[in-house]
Amino acid sequence: MSGVRDRNASAWLLPNDGTRTNHRLRRDMRRFEDSDEVDAVVVGCGAGGSVMLQRLARRGWHVVGFDAGPFWDPDTDWVSDEAGSHHLYWTEPRVISGSDPVPMGSNNSGRGVGGSMVHFAGYAPRFHPSDFRTLSQDGVGADWPIRYEALRPYYTEIEQELPVAGDFWPWGDPHPYPHRPHRVSGNGEVFLRGAEKMGITAKVGPVAIPNGRFGNRPHCIYRGFCLQGCKVNAKASPLITHVPDALAHGAEIRADCMVTRVEVDEHTGLATGVHYIKDGRRRFQRARIVIVAGYSIETPRLLLNSASKRFPEGLCNDFDQVGRYLMVQGAPQTAGRFDEEVRMYKAPPPEVMSEDFYETDPGKPYRRGFAIQTVSPLPITWAEHVAAQGHWGADLRERMSDYVHWACLGALCEFLPSAENRVTLSRETDRNGLPVADFSYSQTDNDKMLMKAARGVMEEILHAAGAADVITIGRYAHLVGGARMAADERHGVVDSDCRTFAVRNLYIADGSVLPTQGSANPALTIMAVAARAADRLTG
Amino acid sequence: MAATRPNRFPGFDAASQWRHWDAATAGAVMKRLGPPPPFRYFTPDEQSTAVALCDRLLDLEPDCPVNVVAMIDSRLAEAETDGWRYEDMPEDGRAWSVSLAGLKSDAVDRFQIPFAELDPPSQNSIIGAVRKLGSEAWHGLPPDHVWSLWTRYACTAFYGHPFGWNEIGFPGPAYPSGYKNLGLDAREPREKADEGGA
Ligand SMILES: Cc1cc2nc3c(=O)[nH]c(=O)nc-3n(C[C@H](O)[C@H](O)[C@H](O)COP(=O)(O)OP(=O)(O)OC[C@H]3O[C@@H](n4cnc5c(N)ncnc54)[C@H](O)[C@@H]3O)c2cc1C
Ligand code: SF4
Repeated sequence: MSGVRDRNASAWLLPNDGTRTNHRLRRDMRRFEDSDEVDAVVVGCGAGGSVMLQRLARRGWHVVGFDAGPFWDPDTDWVSDEAGSHHLYWTEPRVISGSDPVPMGSNNSGRGVGGSMVHFAGYAPRFHPSDFRTLSQDGVGADWPIRYEALRPYYTEIEQELPVAGDFWPWGDPHPYPHRPHRVSGNGEVFLRGAEKMGITAKVGPVAIPNGRFGNRPHCIYRGFCLQGCKVNAKASPLITHVPDALAHGAEIRADCMVTRVEVDEHTGLATGVHYIKDGRRRFQRARIVIVAGYSIETPRLLLNSASKRFPEGLCNDFDQVGRYLMVQGAPQTAGRFDEEVRMYKAPPPEVMSEDFYETDPGKPYRRGFAIQTVSPLPITWAEHVAAQGHWGADLRERMSDYVHWACLGALCEFLPSAENRVTLSRETDRNGLPVADFSYSQTDNDKMLMKAARGVMEEILHAAGAADVITIGRYAHLVGGARMAADERHGVVDSDCRTFAVRNLYIADGSVLPTQGSANPALTIMAVAARAADRLTG
Repeated sequence: MAATRPNRFPGFDAASQWRHWDAATAGAVMKRLGPPPPFRYFTPDEQSTAVALCDRLLDLEPDCPVNVVAMIDSRLAEAETDGWRYEDMPEDGRAWSVSLAGLKSDAVDRFQIPFAELDPPSQNSIIGAVRKLGSEAWHGLPPDHVWSLWTRYACTAFYGHPFGWNEIGFPGPAYPSGYKNLGLDAREPREKADEGGA
């Protein structure tokens, strides 16, 4: 893996003395003045933003990354506890609406350096080649202005940098992973057993958790709290996979700074920097290039909140594209009860996955498909499952006491993009007086059919594995889209290089740019798209 | 009136492991075993209704060490929400106040006594009616979203507490120890077998 260290030394810049944060690197970080015209500012230090920052810093650019949340120290800031992890989420107000509103709960996006990957589960599959042309191939969704092949080298790079562990992957563009698959716990065993009985192919991985030490990152201790932030530094997040290398190459990260507006010069039509709030004070950072990477809700919100005389309906919104084509995946979870003790809280929730149902099956009434994965709700989330079945009172307590016998699978259904699913500004404002996002979602018939089909397959797998009872809860996961990539400005907000059509020096480099979502978890693709955009930007 | 429950994990005590937890986690969890912070959000009247509601939702025994309502109160006082609300619901604190007032007025309408003073079966019948309303509005609120609010907050408080973990065999924090024995029916020495299941 010496090749990785040469291009991204993050894992080697972390301490190897049992603590998790290189405080010296942060203390000695380069600092720019607001009046310096830096080469680029990046709004949001999550999946897309941190990769951008690291790539640009490596090329010698003067860059500043802003994040609304803290610069985390896993030792002091994170706990191995479900109820104590609320502060990881974006808990500023958001409104949800539409005919199928999407409650976010602990599925909410992140706030702080590392972004949502701080508490993401850790699945890191690639998209399939078909995801880039669902419109021409299946007559639904959208075609990307780039093909899978354009991202392939970046997938490989990022898989090495996280790094990803798993079996050889037989689906999509078949490929191996840099690390061997992890051993599995009771939940993974159940999935493998049921899948085998049914003739379904299931594989271990792919997870962004190295199998073994990686640089100064220790081995995973299988404690199961991946969705509460990894205190071990085993599970990948940009905080440990890209930020250290960015700092070592002269990037500055300004944490606890909320960017409120992108400024565009009325005469030149170019972005000149960003307005932000630090310690209650309003400030302005000048920049030659502005890159927005604030997540699929906050990125459209920031553009809409940056309306001006030239852009009365919101920045880059001449053709009413900003905030539209927002997508979630339908993520029903089906659990089964076993006589054996499963104890699904042990080991990382992401263990085993099947993409057998990912592509369009001509024999089915719906287009596109779904993936099936292990998910392992901890007690509070599990109580939501049980309560959702209508149980309460003594009944709820009794069923909850059966927790150790349950295994749980989750599906990711490819919901299709629709112009009506979108972020707009609500009348409600946050504590800075900025309108918050209203996120409206409605499902199509295709979406509903997929949810039903996925549920059926999960129930069959669990029954085949020996489950007597099964229960299902409807859920959603993974927001992407909202400022999508397209061939022209009438169909999207950015071009294939993530540059906005409307403002030549304004880029978007997060999950917002995805035109389709497949049935894959999106973080790896978001990072690969950002890495490619950085290459295109720096030539 | 809480049912006597069989103890499926006799002798299992998650919090007894606290010396093996990291300081940040031990601090966060052990604080829940101590006295709750003073009430700041609910009025005494709301508090009494909320206590009765949560007693029924979770069938809490009279000597239950989990102060569910105090935990909800402190979340509301600190605006520690889940970060979203349904468009047809007010923000969480207000939604709690309105729904508690709703329970109180239902009790007065049906039994001429405040909700908190009713016997548990009558309280259950009022709560159960809210659950079964479907899409009909209840005191101006959508009952399914009210139900989601109540159960989310109540379950987070109860199953975030070591007392709740003991009852379900969950060992709680696992850092820095982690787990070594993975797989069906595999246990660590600190985990206890289910003696009342199968
Ligand atoms: C519970 C959960 C589990 C998940 N599991 C998986 C998984 O297993 N695999 C997978 O691939 N994906 C998973 N995801 C999704 C994945 O984490 C996200 O899709 C991905 O991180 C999004 O990347 P992003 O760059 O768009 O935004 P983020 O990573 O969310 O980064 C955005 C950052 O921008 C900051 N920000 C926003 N607005 C502003 C502003 N105005 N000023 C300053 N800063 C701002 C935020 O604080 C945040 O840090 C999961 C997500 C959740 C919530
Ligand atoms: S299970 Fe492993 S990867 Fe997940 S949080 Fe624990 S140590 Fe980190």
